[in-house]
Amino acid sequence: MKKSSLVFNSSSRAMNTSVAGHQVSQSSRHKWNFAGSQTRRNSILVGGSNRKRNILDRNANQAPRKPVRVLDNDGNDVTPLPLYHAEPGDMPSKPGRFLDEIFSSSESDQLKSTSSFNMRSFGSFLGSSLPSSLSTTASMTKGTEDSVPKLDIPIIPPPPCGQRKRDNVKQHVTEEMLDDVVDVCLTETDTISLFDLPPLIFMSEDADDTKAIKERNLQYAELCKNRTGNDKYVERSMQTFSGAPKEKQIQTDKIVMVDEGSTIGSLLEMETCSLNAESNPELIMLTESFQHSLLVMERSIVANLFQPKLAAYRQLPIIKDPDSTVKPETEEKSEEGEESSSSPTLERLWAFSCELTRGWNITCMVWNKENPDLLAVAYGDCDSTNQKPSLICCWSLKNPTWPERVFHCHSCVTSLDFSANNPSQLAVGMYDGTIAIYTVQSRNNIHCIANSSECSKRHLKPVWQVNWSKQEITLSGEDRVEALVAVSADGRITKWLLCSNGLECIDLMKLKKTKNSKKKAVESKKKTEHMGSALTPGLCMDFHPTDSSVYLVGTWEGLIQKCSVANCHNVLETYQNHFCPVNSIEWSPFSPDVFLSCSSDWTIQLWKQECLTPVLSFTSAQRAVYAVRWSPNWSTIFAAINGLQVEIWDLNLSILHPTIVHQAAPGVTVTSVLFSRGTDCVLVGDSEGQVTVYQLKNLSVGQGKQVDSLEDIIGSAVSRYL
Amino acid sequence: MPPFPSQAEVEETLKRIQSQNGVQGIIIVNTEGIPIKTTLDNASTVQYAGLIHQLVMKARSTVRDIDPQNDLTFLRVRSKKNEIMIAPDKDAFSNKTSFLLY
Repeated sequence: MKKSSLVFNSSSRAMNTSVAGHQVSQSSRHKWNFAGSQTRRNSILVGGSNRKRNILDRNANQAPRKPVRVLDNDGNDVTPLPLYHAEPGDMPSKPGRFLDEIFSSSESDQLKSTSSFNMRSFGSFLGSSLPSSLSTTASMTKGTEDSVPKLDIPIIPPPPCGQRKRDNVKQHVTEEMLDDVVDVCLTETDTISLFDLPPLIFMSEDADDTKAIKERNLQYAELCKNRTGNDKYVERSMQTFSGAPKEKQIQTDKIVMVDEGSTIGSLLEMETCSLNAESNPELIMLTESFQHSLLVMERSIVANLFQPKLAAYRQLPIIKDPDSTVKPETEEKSEEGEESSSSPTLERLWAFSCELTRGWNITCMVWNKENPDLLAVAYGDCDSTNQKPSLICCWSLKNPTWPERVFHCHSCVTSLDFSANNPSQLAVGMYDGTIAIYTVQSRNNIHCIANSSECSKRHLKPVWQVNWSKQEITLSGEDRVEALVAVSADGRITKWLLCSNGLECIDLMKLKKTKNSKKKAVESKKKTEHMGSALTPGLCMDFHPTDSSVYLVGTWEGLIQKCSVANCHNVLETYQNHFCPVNSIEWSPFSPDVFLSCSSDWTIQLWKQECLTPVLSFTSAQRAVYAVRWSPNWSTIFAAINGLQVEIWDLNLSILHPTIVHQAAPGVTVTSVLFSRGTDCVLVGDSEGQVTVYQLKNLSVGQGKQVDSLEDIIGSAVSRYL
Repeated sequence: MPPFPSQAEVEETLKRIQSQNGVQGIIIVNTEGIPIKTTLDNASTVQYAGLIHQLVMKARSTVRDIDPQNDLTFLRVRSKKNEIMIAPDKDAFSNKTSFLLY
């Protein structure tokens, strides 16, 4: 039995110059996994590829391979030359093919182990040798005679001349050889570097420290090189002590857990809960825009219902509803009605009324100075015995079914007036002498701006009328200051100013009782009643339309005093004709010198300013006339109420009889009348809380100049006197 | 900033509208078209809400296409038998819309 010994040399750097050639006498069928310490990792890759080659080789029956040629970019032939040229005489009896590998590789290793290839010299790339030895098959390609110190790509074309090697080593394994005991010695081979990736940190050439870094790299490379054979560096092993573990306990605060549950009511709630809070139905309904939508909606519906009436009011053509099913009976009736009413009459359009106001007595009605659709109505019973709370409602023409604003007052309201400068301010005079200013602007804000209850000079008796009047132009030349003037039953005419504390007043005039021989006994009785005070109650007043410093006051005694704002002691004129309280007085809006007065002595008097006796006098029913109003549209028309009826006088037609007499419903007294500007409608307030809107029909009012017609009438009347 | 009006006032207004002559019902819807309050029966409510929501969107987009500064404030659909009045919210498609059948 032949002994064969195989000496494997490990390739390591330290053993660079070791044995050049080895003789391997015999082969062995033992499979060796050659394990260089560093090479195992990387070699599998290569081994795999080699294995394939091995299989290929076998399949191809070890057909001779074509020599591989490697060309670089320029077309130069950079085919790696074999490093080992096997001579025919060498190694005649190579026992194992794989041993060839080893030797060849080890040789080449020695030659190549310290060389370092960088990426650029890709062309001089060599096939791997050692890794192939890791293949488990005994047959190894002979083509891998060159080792690859560096591997950039795992797949490596086998270098040529593998064929030669194969031929040399081919040998048949005989039976005797199998029984041989083979000694195998293992030695460490040189370190074969299979993969070396240089640092990929690309340094820009412009960087300042490029040079420094490069130098440092070189230094380090040097150091590593020097380390190998240097005495300064000694290899040494170390061991770390692992201490015995010890148990230690700690404690933390308890995490308090609380159970919380909630329920979801219905599907709708669940859906709305997932949205933001605004989507809550309750909240939605409270938002302003929703309120606005409601308002618009209500008005639209009401407009639908009242459309014909409102159209008539606004003097628009009434369009018949094409879809309405009008019964033929009603049509006949309306036709009949039309035929008969060729004479002037009042046609009822609608009534402002609602649940809230039903049954109240209306005391005063007034239009807003800026918005001609807004109407303020005061409801209350003027009862001197007990103070009943009263109501002020602001109605809009757009919704006759519900007032826009509702204010409650502690005392009966006797008079209202809207301000012209601040159209949202409403002055209120009450039965207990209080004067207040309300604002109608916002639904939610505080309504009462100012109250005269704290003024020391306030009225203690009923305030019968309040008037906003534009006084003289202020020094600054801006909008004329508006003064609130009130006339009261205590005989004072006061001018009120809005201060920070509230309302403050100045006395404009005191109505003194006058001794007059023309007075009748009735008057003197009244005089003795008021013995306590030297003042006589004023019941009504009106400012001159053009000269705002002049105003008229009607008194309890029946006198009409013309006063001036500037003069607070003396009256300018006294017009005396009535012998009962003057209930209402009004300047004509067309003729600046003419005014009307009405009194409880059943008469209405028409005066001219210069003349101390009335020009015309009107009587119709034997009842006290409570109010008289000029029409703002026609100069010769005025309205008067006397409790049971509304009278419309047209001086053009007749100065003896009213043109239209409209009876109130039985049991209802008519208490207030108001014309509306720009349209031929008149509003009548009654004691049932209804404000009825009537349209004046068939009044043949001329298109001629209004002033002239009135003047003519007056002129003719005056001439009659003379 | 004025305080919110009371719930009662809103309810009262709704009642008044409902009691007007000829009003068949009121539906209040939120952005998504889900009715949140109604005086009609469920089936009709759902039907109306679904159909009308689309109509309002279309009308609004029409108005805005013609003039981007403009916006839809009120919509009335008049038919032989009925009239539907729709008041979309100002920041509409965002909180509520109320319909009315008349």
